[in-house]
Amino acid sequence: MEQNLQYFLIPFLSWEMMMLIWVGVFAGIWVGAIPGLSVTMAASLLISFTFSWDLNSALALICGVFVGGVYGGSITAILLNIPGAPAAIATGIEGYPLAQRGEAGKAIGLCTTVSVFASFVGILALSVAAPVIANFSLKFSPRDFFLLAVMGILLIGSIGGGDPIKGITAGAIGVLLSMVGMDPSTGELRYTFGNIYLMAGISFVTAMIGLFGVSEALTQFRNAGKKSPKQNLDRIIPSWTTFLKYLPLSIRSSLLGVFIGALPGTGGDVAALLAYDQAKRTVRHPSRPFGTGAYEGIVAPETANKGAIGGAFIPMLTLGIPGDAVTAIIIGALYIHGLKPGPMLMIETPHLFWMIVSCLSIASVALMVLGLVSVKPFAKIIEIPKEIIMPVVIILSVIGTYAIQNSVVDIFYMIGFGIIGYFLRLYGYATGPMVLGLILGPMLDANYRRAMQGAENQILPFLEGFLTNPISLFLTLSIVFLIVSQTSFYRRWRGLE
Amino acid sequence: MRKLGVALLMAGVLAGAAFGAYPEKNIQGYIMWGAGGAMDNVSRAIVPIAQEHLGKTIILQNRTGATGAIATTFVANQPADGYSILFGAENPNLYKVTGLSQIDYDQFEPVFLMMANVGVVIVSKDSPYASYRELIEAAASGKTITMGSTGPGGLPYVATTMIEKIHGVKFNKMQFDGEGPCITALMGGHIDAVAVGLLAAANFIHSGSVKGLAMISSERIESVASVPAVTEAYEEYRPYLPWGAFFGAFVRKETPAEVLDVLRSAFAKAFQDPRFDEFAKTMGGVKLGITGEDAKKYIKQNQSVAAWLLYDAGGAKFSPADFGIERPQAK
Repeated sequence: MEQNLQYFLIPFLSWEMMMLIWVGVFAGIWVGAIPGLSVTMAASLLISFTFSWDLNSALALICGVFVGGVYGGSITAILLNIPGAPAAIATGIEGYPLAQRGEAGKAIGLCTTVSVFASFVGILALSVAAPVIANFSLKFSPRDFFLLAVMGILLIGSIGGGDPIKGITAGAIGVLLSMVGMDPSTGELRYTFGNIYLMAGISFVTAMIGLFGVSEALTQFRNAGKKSPKQNLDRIIPSWTTFLKYLPLSIRSSLLGVFIGALPGTGGDVAALLAYDQAKRTVRHPSRPFGTGAYEGIVAPETANKGAIGGAFIPMLTLGIPGDAVTAIIIGALYIHGLKPGPMLMIETPHLFWMIVSCLSIASVALMVLGLVSVKPFAKIIEIPKEIIMPVVIILSVIGTYAIQNSVVDIFYMIGFGIIGYFLRLYGYATGPMVLGLILGPMLDANYRRAMQGAENQILPFLEGFLTNPISLFLTLSIVFLIVSQTSFYRRWRGLE
Repeated sequence: MRKLGVALLMAGVLAGAAFGAYPEKNIQGYIMWGAGGAMDNVSRAIVPIAQEHLGKTIILQNRTGATGAIATTFVANQPADGYSILFGAENPNLYKVTGLSQIDYDQFEPVFLMMANVGVVIVSKDSPYASYRELIEAAASGKTITMGSTGPGGLPYVATTMIEKIHGVKFNKMQFDGEGPCITALMGGHIDAVAVGLLAAANFIHSGSVKGLAMISSERIESVASVPAVTEAYEEYRPYLPWGAFFGAFVRKETPAEVLDVLRSAFAKAFQDPRFDEFAKTMGGVKLGITGEDAKKYIKQNQSVAAWLLYDAGGAKFSPADFGIERPQAK
């Protein structure tokens, strides 16, 4: 115990590590805020030049970037309706209307505060319950991942705008597009029409930049010349009463984030979307109706994606299995530094665990300070005339897309999606469901087939699994509940209508 | 005439810039398997050292899917200028016979083969099977055994086919995106056993998270000496051995020789670097370190064993003979 404390204190006693964490958070916030430059990319670029450093410094910087980057993605979602990363899609739905009302400062302030809180929930879960959660996450079978994806698809009801038919249509197009390319298990070509560029499939990040970034910019041009709403920046930090009011929701959503983050292969994006949906269904008296600027709709996804940070480290540090894309990169970095990421990590290098816990804690404090300090400059962005800011967004979208894999073809894809998105919006289709379909399509596809293979391709044993396995049963019942809870009968009974 | 001279001069300058100073911009590296797997780990270990000798960054990304055919096809369609490197394993050797793709290593020039990998059959630590013999006998008795796999052509697929053929058994198979996810599923109890490369499994065997039942080789491997060689239980494996995977870096065949030399020398230097030695030891793999004609011969040998094995087992759509792949000679 005393030794663990010593390990925990390492970053506190080193000026260099301290500084690197703060630099990492700062860089993460700004890079994460740029459409197209996601936290995953920031981490992978940074890691390549930390190879020659000593391990402690490299980890300090990476932890900082991770925490800052996840947060940064939400800022542009609130200010410009352009999420910097998939984890911020839900935040934009409520955040942008708030910014339009002149409450951007208050929204970002709340977002920062609950983010820091959730980040600590994740760190706490990591430090006290890592082995338990890791073993639990292993129990999730392909069937359960399939059910999680189905649950995600139901989100279309939440983020699809008013018209369910239009939401489902956009979502179905997204799923269809995600099938383009080589079949992941047999290698058969699907919807490629013999075109080589279609073989590798359509990256959802490219699609997201187009559908959110460029299409939003194009839509905004229609508003060029209009005056931007004046921002009220008097009270940025939420009061204790406000914080306490959202505390139960914050705790619930951050724990959800921890669990989803700890599942191998799912990260903050799925966590944030599920948490938003969960809030929308369960919060009885939101500050405003959902979709028009409900603060609950910011708290839930923001706490979930921050909780997922600590969560993602759980399987990585205990089992050597990455919890999400960023931890996968960190595993690679540990190898370079001569460590054995995997089940031996905790046994052979126990200091690493507590040092990461400590770096993440410092990063969360840094996020609080740097986040709140940048609220004012950030909120000013929104007051910049649209005819200036939107071309900048388009340029950044092009750079961001190109930077993913230095592919010019991706830029064409991105612009194509931007134009499709523009017309979708024009005719009242939300773009969110399409991105959702692109993200969840492969997860549905691969896990359905794995679950089927596990049941030896027999339909009855396959269906039986949904009822006999406790996790599957719980998820199945949750989905049934999600559907029932949408019926007017249930809503009247609960007093939601 | 003067215009032509200027044009020629400019063309000369451009050509000089293109070939003289390779690499003059960052290089893209495409890893055909997912993060955390052996291919990924080997690539991410050698690249940072190799790029010190290149003076430019090799930006790595995982382009997974279809047992690596997506990355292979992708790089084969990039310009042959040395700015797109394929980090590939043995999988493309089977693309033609499985009908997966017409593009395999015939279209590539090996830059360097870094490591070799040996298959190991593992079960979870709570598994009822304490030995390889018990597992095989359970399968032979008609019990359903679900094995993890990574799609036609991957090491798990070929190894499983080999086992099925030798013992006349049939496994139920579940497909994952890589060896890492296979091990995760094994630890969670979603599959009964899986044959993966030792590089991905070594740390899990050392920690006791999984049990190693048999190495698919004719002798024990030093780094996991507690795991018996498969021939200790069944002599029938001997004609197929040695067989395994390899991890290398490749560029398109038409890549200029000067560019290839620069890359080869950078990778060779990185390979000899003590840091890579340390990595190889940590991972528990077998260092290979061959290039040029040797590497091509090695790849051809591997292809001949795996392709004919798969074909004889009925796992191939086309005969290796159709593509001029020779049957392995009995030793």
